[in-house]
Amino acid sequence: MISTRKKILSFVLTAVGLFVLFIFAVNTGSLKVTPSELFSGLFIEYNPDVATIYDLRFPRIFIAMLGGAATAVSGVLLQAVMKNPLADPGIIGVSSGASLVAVIVTAFFPSLFFLTPMLAFIGGLIAFLLVYSLSWKGGFSPLRIILVGVAVNALCTGLMSAFNSATGSSYTGVASIVNANITQKTWDDFQTLAVYVVIGLIASFFVTNQCNLLSLEDKTAPSLGMNVTRSRIVISVIAVLLASISTAVVGAISFLGLIVPHIARLLVGSNHKVLVPYSILLGAFTLLLADTIGRTVASPYEISAAVVMSVIGGPFFIFLLRRSKQNYA
Amino acid sequence: MPDNIFEIKDLSFSYGNNRVIDGLNLKIKEGKITTLIGANGCGKSTLFNLMTKNLKPDDGIIFLAGQNVEQMKLKDFARKAAIVHQYNTAPSDITVEKLVEFGRTPYHTMGLSPNPDEDREKVKFALEITDTEKFKNKPVSQLSGGQKQRVWIAMALAQDTKILFLGEPTTYLDIRYQLQILRLVKRLNSEFNITVIMVLHDINQSLYYSDEIVAMQNGKVLSQGEPKEIITSKLIEDVYGVTLETGEIDGKPFVIPV
Repeated sequence: MISTRKKILSFVLTAVGLFVLFIFAVNTGSLKVTPSELFSGLFIEYNPDVATIYDLRFPRIFIAMLGGAATAVSGVLLQAVMKNPLADPGIIGVSSGASLVAVIVTAFFPSLFFLTPMLAFIGGLIAFLLVYSLSWKGGFSPLRIILVGVAVNALCTGLMSAFNSATGSSYTGVASIVNANITQKTWDDFQTLAVYVVIGLIASFFVTNQCNLLSLEDKTAPSLGMNVTRSRIVISVIAVLLASISTAVVGAISFLGLIVPHIARLLVGSNHKVLVPYSILLGAFTLLLADTIGRTVASPYEISAAVVMSVIGGPFFIFLLRRSKQNYA
Repeated sequence: MPDNIFEIKDLSFSYGNNRVIDGLNLKIKEGKITTLIGANGCGKSTLFNLMTKNLKPDDGIIFLAGQNVEQMKLKDFARKAAIVHQYNTAPSDITVEKLVEFGRTPYHTMGLSPNPDEDREKVKFALEITDTEKFKNKPVSQLSGGQKQRVWIAMALAQDTKILFLGEPTTYLDIRYQLQILRLVKRLNSEFNITVIMVLHDINQSLYYSDEIVAMQNGKVLSQGEPKEIITSKLIEDVYGVTLETGEIDGKPFVIPV
């Protein structure tokens, strides 16, 4: 049991943490400005340093936050649908399905570039349907989902690397999706991401109740008047949308959709009405942290946020697997 | 004569080639406690799942107060009949009160309640009558088996229905909690006129607490009626395949199950 006070405290501390991290991220790099310079440069008078930061650093910071929030909520929703705390859009292949399509579009149909997010969404859906149908045998075994997911993930990732190599790694667009590099992102990318992510996040608020009911037995939820199959489809589509759009712009980020919901459950409990909004905050914080660490650790070189997440997330995933034997069997 | 709340006509259902319900006809009276009994595999659980919309019949129709159950929306059905299944799970950190509040779901639209006062009132009633109010702020996962079962019944009662289905409500409980549950069921029926339809394994508890017994065999109704009218050594032998003596204590029929 987590008291309401502790939940509120978690929200406040994470929000403050996100704000501090934001200021720090804005000031990380060769140009530095004070918060007051930043404020006046943004809203009052022109300042060339602030203008450069606004054009180069702001988009990536906001993209990292939105991508993190989207991926985290996608994880929460998939875990509710599959009743599996180890479901994650990265691990079960949704992200790599989406990025594979994004890579194909970027490499071979550059004129369709504006459709990339929607096409990535379709790619994510196909990967999800594959995993869902192949791992369903009158119910989901947590292990089977992960195993089928690993296979689908490997296939998509392999094809993606093949495309990248076959095109001589010459398309920066392709490489940036493959490597989940958000260095070169612009306000246009942010806009693309923002539209879909905001739609997805708002939609996710409407299904929090259904997510809660799915945690009951599959026979119990219908006896409360809920159409379980329909709810599963709706929630899955929202989850895949969030993960795919994020992947199309940010690239595939592994483990984020796993780690953030897990920590969030420890801090605010399993009620989705609280869990979803908190995961938005914590997801934004986590990916921005990963990106900022990647920018500072080996400065002037950059390590991509995806790589940072993998390095942190890999061991964490093993830790969860070991723990899950006691809790989720 | 009370009206029939359920009327089942020529019902059939198969799992693959295995015909579990075979042309079954049955009427269930309103305001009574009706218990389905029968040997393992006789089809009573399947019938229970068909009546509660968890399965769809291959053939035949189930009427609930004149309406075809198969064509009713889940939500409409959930406002008329509440179901406590044998096996239940809840998130480990959910409190008793929050879980019982789930029982109000059939009255909500898009997760929003049109009448929060009524919700509060019905939840309070359900907690009180099942004697679970004293631990309403405790996580369900920390309760004993008997307490948990009462909480699941409370959730069903919060649905505020005239019909209550109970699937083997006493399984896994020791005798004290079994009686607690059965006496609660009796009280719900006599004080609040709730029609109870349940599946029980214990033959004597079925006889003692039911107004009507439905004895099933091979996917059909073998015999139906008041306990003392239908219970004979012959019926027990037909239903369970064992010879047991029957007797009477204070006008109530008993079977000696050894």
